Amino acid sequence: MATKRVAICAVAQHKNDSDLWHKRFQGMLLDVLEELQAQAGFTFDEETGVNTIVSCSDDFFDARTISNNGVTDVLGAQYRGEEKMAQEGLNAVGYAQAVILSGYADLVLVMGHCKESQSESRRMISNMGFDPFYGRAVGLDNLNAAALQARAYMKKAGLTEEQLAGIVVRARQLAARNPYANAREIVEAGKVVASPQLCDPIRQLHAYPVSDGAVGMLLASEERAAEFTDKPVWIAGFANCMDSYFLGDRDLTANFALKQAAGRAYRKAGIADPRKELDLVEVMDAYAYQQPLWLEGLGLCGDGEGARFLDQGGQEKYRVNLSGGMLAGNPVIIAGLYRAAEAALQLKGEAGERQVPDLHRAVAHSTTGAAGQFHSVLILER
Amino acid sequence: MKMHAKNRNVAIIGIGQTSLSSHKEDQNQAEMVHEAVRNALADAGLKIGDIDCIVHGNMELFEMQFAPDLWHSLGTGAYGKDEYRITTGGTTGATLVCAADNLVASGLYDTVLAIGMEKLQEGNTTGGITNMADPLWFRNLQTGALTGTTAQEIIDEFGEERAKRAAMRYRIMMDKHAMLNQRAHRRLGLEYSQMEDLMANSPPLVGELRLIHMCSQSDGACAMIFTSEEKVKQGTKNPPVWMRDHIQVHREETIPNLFGFNKPEVTHHLAARKLFARNGIQDPVAYFDVFEMYDPSAWWAVDWLREFFLLTGDEHLRMLEAGDFDMDGRIPINPSGGVIASNPIGATAMLRLAEAALQIRGDAGGHQIKKEVRHALASGFGGTFWSVLMILEKELNWQEVNHD
Amino acid sequence: MTEYFGTTVADIFATMPKRFKPEEAKEVDIAIGYEATGEGGGKWKATIKHGTLKVETVEGELTGCKTTIHTDAETFVGVTLGKIAALDALSSQKLRVAGDPKFLMLLLPKIFTPYAAPAKKPDAVTARDIIATIAERFRPEKAEGVAMTIGYDLAGEGGGKWTIVIREGKCAVREGLADPLTVKMTMEAKTYAGMMVGTIEAVTAFTSGQVKIEGDMAAAGATAKYFLKYVVPGATEAEELISLRVINSIEQRFATGPVMGRWFAGIREKKFLANRCPKCGRTQIPPREICAWCRVRVHEFVEVGPKGVVTHFDIVYFASPDPLTGAVRDTPYATAYVVFDGATEREAITLDLKQEDIPRLKEGARVRPVWAEVTTGSYRDLIGVELDEEEGSI
Repeated sequence: MATKRVAICAVAQHKNDSDLWHKRFQGMLLDVLEELQAQAGFTFDEETGVNTIVSCSDDFFDARTISNNGVTDVLGAQYRGEEKMAQEGLNAVGYAQAVILSGYADLVLVMGHCKESQSESRRMISNMGFDPFYGRAVGLDNLNAAALQARAYMKKAGLTEEQLAGIVVRARQLAARNPYANAREIVEAGKVVASPQLCDPIRQLHAYPVSDGAVGMLLASEERAAEFTDKPVWIAGFANCMDSYFLGDRDLTANFALKQAAGRAYRKAGIADPRKELDLVEVMDAYAYQQPLWLEGLGLCGDGEGARFLDQGGQEKYRVNLSGGMLAGNPVIIAGLYRAAEAALQLKGEAGERQVPDLHRAVAHSTTGAAGQFHSVLILER
Repeated sequence: MKMHAKNRNVAIIGIGQTSLSSHKEDQNQAEMVHEAVRNALADAGLKIGDIDCIVHGNMELFEMQFAPDLWHSLGTGAYGKDEYRITTGGTTGATLVCAADNLVASGLYDTVLAIGMEKLQEGNTTGGITNMADPLWFRNLQTGALTGTTAQEIIDEFGEERAKRAAMRYRIMMDKHAMLNQRAHRRLGLEYSQMEDLMANSPPLVGELRLIHMCSQSDGACAMIFTSEEKVKQGTKNPPVWMRDHIQVHREETIPNLFGFNKPEVTHHLAARKLFARNGIQDPVAYFDVFEMYDPSAWWAVDWLREFFLLTGDEHLRMLEAGDFDMDGRIPINPSGGVIASNPIGATAMLRLAEAALQIRGDAGGHQIKKEVRHALASGFGGTFWSVLMILEKELNWQEVNHD
Repeated sequence: MTEYFGTTVADIFATMPKRFKPEEAKEVDIAIGYEATGEGGGKWKATIKHGTLKVETVEGELTGCKTTIHTDAETFVGVTLGKIAALDALSSQKLRVAGDPKFLMLLLPKIFTPYAAPAKKPDAVTARDIIATIAERFRPEKAEGVAMTIGYDLAGEGGGKWTIVIREGKCAVREGLADPLTVKMTMEAKTYAGMMVGTIEAVTAFTSGQVKIEGDMAAAGATAKYFLKYVVPGATEAEELISLRVINSIEQRFATGPVMGRWFAGIREKKFLANRCPKCGRTQIPPREICAWCRVRVHEFVEVGPKGVVTHFDIVYFASPDPLTGAVRDTPYATAYVVFDGATEREAITLDLKQEDIPRLKEGARVRPVWAEVTTGSYRDLIGVELDEEEGSI
């Protein structure tokens, strides 16, 4: 019989940067691969090594048909099996878990990369995520779709400019302790409130900075995990969910897809009440307003209570985005993979200056598409 | 390769295709996907509510649609469900099958719907393929997927006359198969009496690769439904077809270093060698009843038959010349007409699986093989000579794959 | 003449001058021969020179044509009307092209508007038939509060004089011209019929003086919206399928990094710098960060070439348009797989071969690089390779 549990044995992150103009993404991935091999000492041996790689990248961001073909060698995938997750990278972890549970492989390497700086505009790319007839023509992209959601949510939850600024100030303070974060400079609330409007009500400092990055992980079956680490982090549950495509068909503040994904992941992990059973939360907050909105979707507070939840210290109680979150800068294609990496490092006790004690179970979240059309939820345990 | 026994068995219980054509102006992308999904659900006798998870794939730079599963969800039925989008270029359709197999076998999902699609008429296909090359160096040199090097190698090895006749015999055989398949895109009505004429006069594309040898550009989608053995036991509308095993072999980004003074083991050969060894298949020609091969050109097809069947010397040519690969031959190749007849890229490799499964069910219609089909082989091709190879079975009675 | 798909080969050639777009053919200088065999076939020659077109029928041999199309009459009509896919006809040899088929496929749609088979039925429809349907096509919901009388004076066969009265949401047609009229329109009966069935464009008919309007011009322009469109009896209107044409382009700026960067620095100095795997020793060209086989980082650079040996080559007859510029290269051109002197035996690189050298190209030929006059550190620095015949080794 195949294994019953899957462990994350090793985690490596490339430092996020606004413009790695001097480095190809191949070089970034090779740094990550070498770091993983140094940590876990695995090989690519045909009998005992890694034979299956799940990569994550994007043809538009890489400006390359079959983006994984440009990196096959630095994934270690020469004459091995490789599959590209063409979604946000947290789904690569979820899928890699399935590959091991199926019995097909006992080791899987997950490797993701993206260089947002390479493109003239990430907004032009997300504009092409809309249908060519209507969505693109009216100029929709991920930023202005988010702005529609931001306005609706601020009204519903009573979220204020000051609270949004507070989210950004806190993210930067935490990012200053994360050597892999991009935006690590401390900012004052006044500067956030005064930063220019990108798309009202989203201000420049409410939005994640353009980022380049790469992340890797080694996953193993329960039987083999001990060969690679004495501090395995177990995947307790993973699920994702798709919402309606047309923005007008959705209640943008209802978190339909996130609630479904979280509910299914919690069930798999045996979590009855997330408010009592989660110790650490990493959410993919591309924009400041999303942090409380996604926390509602994860069930950590009630509908429309996200703003009050901030004032009541919810971020500290659930140790939300101790890494600085996506607000400190991760490329959109792998921002959730970075969330999983940070949650895993905390559970391993290897989070350096940002380490907190007494952790048992954490959740990592990601989202894809305009105003959160698609959400993914990963539950990790020590 | 280190493998455990499969956690649980997985069966194909639904197959849906759209027509394959270069004229689908009457459907947008999501609508075309929906046609395949509807057909697969009807074939399986299921409703969308019976599906736990969707797997979607294509090559997005062909249509220039970023994260296309978001819009296509209108047609895939992914609303409210788990969904994965997995792509690997030309092999995408086969990788989607591997992924669906893994997702069901894992126990995380009972019933998974996989969809491969492409609307090549909405983009520039050769340009899209050219963009595969590294932007810094090879992009200015590549001509899509057109190359005559394999033709030249076969000519060098077997002589011009025999090589050209073999490629053209294969091509006409494929057209004869396509003429039997109502869904096939290019159905030309070729006759073996045209062989000499086509060899001499078909417009040349690259070297000895001529227009007649090359695959078409098609629009179309394919959807397949996979479920667990436990679910199959509760009853299925059509007989289940079992996913026995699959293997994927990728390689580095450079093509030129396959054409130096000598070459490494071809990926297809490695895939076949490993897959057959771990499944205890000694003689693949004798074991399999049909092979649906991803054949982008007649020249590649002729060459690859040797690799996939682990043949040596001119065995593959002798078999081709003797009619062993014909519809009523020892091991029929592509009763569907293959990729040469129809090529909606993101769906193409899945169509190989779908067609092989239809043969096992006996539901292929006009292009059904006369003798019983119990064991089927199907392949995918893409990237820089990437290979996927899969085994389908009619009965759930093979030795478990176990290499612990 | 024998008809196929409702039209004849001769009609396709007869309409060629009307369909010709001289402004698109300014740079074109070509004679195209056509041979259509079988019933209704024949031979034609179209000479296109700097924006002019001459079409002639040919008896005997087709001479002086750069490109000639041979096919049977049915296939020719089928392909022209889009009833038969051109690529299928070409693949199955039902249609043959002596010359460059790709060139024709790109050129012809550019310089000719598509041929449309003559519509038969509308010709048979008279103005009187159309006027007879006016009352049933009236749309009262569009004519609320409208009060007007419209006179039609239609001369010739099927014509006559009519007055259409619209008042209080009702419409009536009377023979003869009433007085006063809000507007009066005078034209040939067949012009009116042509406008109503869509074979004559209303604006063109008016501006060319075929239609005279007296009275309230605005009222004349407004009449169409009070009526449903006239449909020829028995004709089924195909739904119009609209396609959007968009060019998508996002500018990119690619890093070269220290490895590809070193290669380009070498190219600028007209040197080929491969990198050598510390384990297996292969010389990667262009260099890459890792050796895919040994999975180790590659640090050492070695100069290979500049001369090398051709292991394989592709002679390309069918050039794809550049995906961004649309430019099509001259054919044939050759791409050579070259193993440079000093490189390991598998590590070929593809390079363009000088066009004049194509006839003498063989496997095993020795080649040397052809460099741009000024090298800047990009792929454009290396134009390609040419045969290196000085050593007499070919």
